[in-house]
Amino acid sequence: MQTSLPTSSSSSARPEMKEHCSHSADCLKMIQLILDGEATEQELARVKANLESCKPCIEMYHLEKEVKELLTKRIEKRCCPEQLVATIKSRILSFS
Amino acid sequence: MSDTPTRDDRDRTGGPAEPDQFLPEGDSIEQPSEDTPARRYTEEQKYQVFNKEFMPHIDSMYNFAFRLTMDEDDANDLVQDTYLKAFRFISSFEQGTNAKAWLFRILKNSFINDYRKKSKEPAKVDYQDVETTYNSEDAESEHTVDLRAESVSDLIGDEVANALNSLPVDFRTVIILCDIEGFTYEEMAKILDIPIGTVRSRLHRARNLLKEKLRDYASSMGYKEENEE
Ligand SMILES: [Zn+2]
Repeated sequence: MQTSLPTSSSSSARPEMKEHCSHSADCLKMIQLILDGEATEQELARVKANLESCKPCIEMYHLEKEVKELLTKRIEKRCCPEQLVATIKSRILSFS
Repeated sequence: MSDTPTRDDRDRTGGPAEPDQFLPEGDSIEQPSEDTPARRYTEEQKYQVFNKEFMPHIDSMYNFAFRLTMDEDDANDLVQDTYLKAFRFISSFEQGTNAKAWLFRILKNSFINDYRKKSKEPAKVDYQDVETTYNSEDAESEHTVDLRAESVSDLIGDEVANALNSLPVDFRTVIILCDIEGFTYEEMAKILDIPIGTVRSRLHRARNLLKEKLRDYASSMGYKEENEE
């Protein structure tokens, strides 16, 4: 699920920005649900509202997103060796 | 308690198959029960299903096996065993349903039953122990890791992989399934035979552990850079 959330730069100038989050553990869980595409509409709306005004949460959002992308894009994907594919296919054929 | 099964009734169209098409728990995979819905494939259909539905996932399966065992030979054996099992029990697979999740579940059960026992992992972490510790509602489990996105963005693949590999296998598994393979929580619950609530909390804890490892890498990198100047 792709959602557009405010970036820290666009909103950091706002005076009413919260410097401390009193429920960051819950916010973190919610942020992970969103990045995993598992949040409900209500959860999504709640976090979006929070991310307008809470600096620690914005930073948390960027960190979680970055970590997820590191895992998705930067870890090498091992492909199955051709030899193993051939072995499996021939063993299947001798099954019946 | 996050271990309490939470019913998650979110509607997920195109979601995974019904649980009844998943193989029975653990060892019983060797003996599908009598009431397994009989899908009478002809010999020819068996090969068709195998080639069309199972083989396309072999790279993902191999990658999963390698990330679990961290050893190429073990990954080879594990993938081969899984595919042979899948063929043997092909009648309990319903064509057109979630083959990838079905295969991943067999692989994960084979790993637990056959490989984890002889695994080279030092002093196998008692998962129950870890989870209890991390599930306790104390402040420690609710902590957030002090780390900034900018400090991990320069890490290379090997460092991220090493950080992942250093996690206890159950934590590593949820991260692989979710972030690398892109399974939904519901699919993960079926692959791992745990409630969705546990998927969620285990993932949350796994990520906290991972971020701690990443922070170690990031700070040692910063230290190196300072010294080079
Ligand atoms: Zn907040």
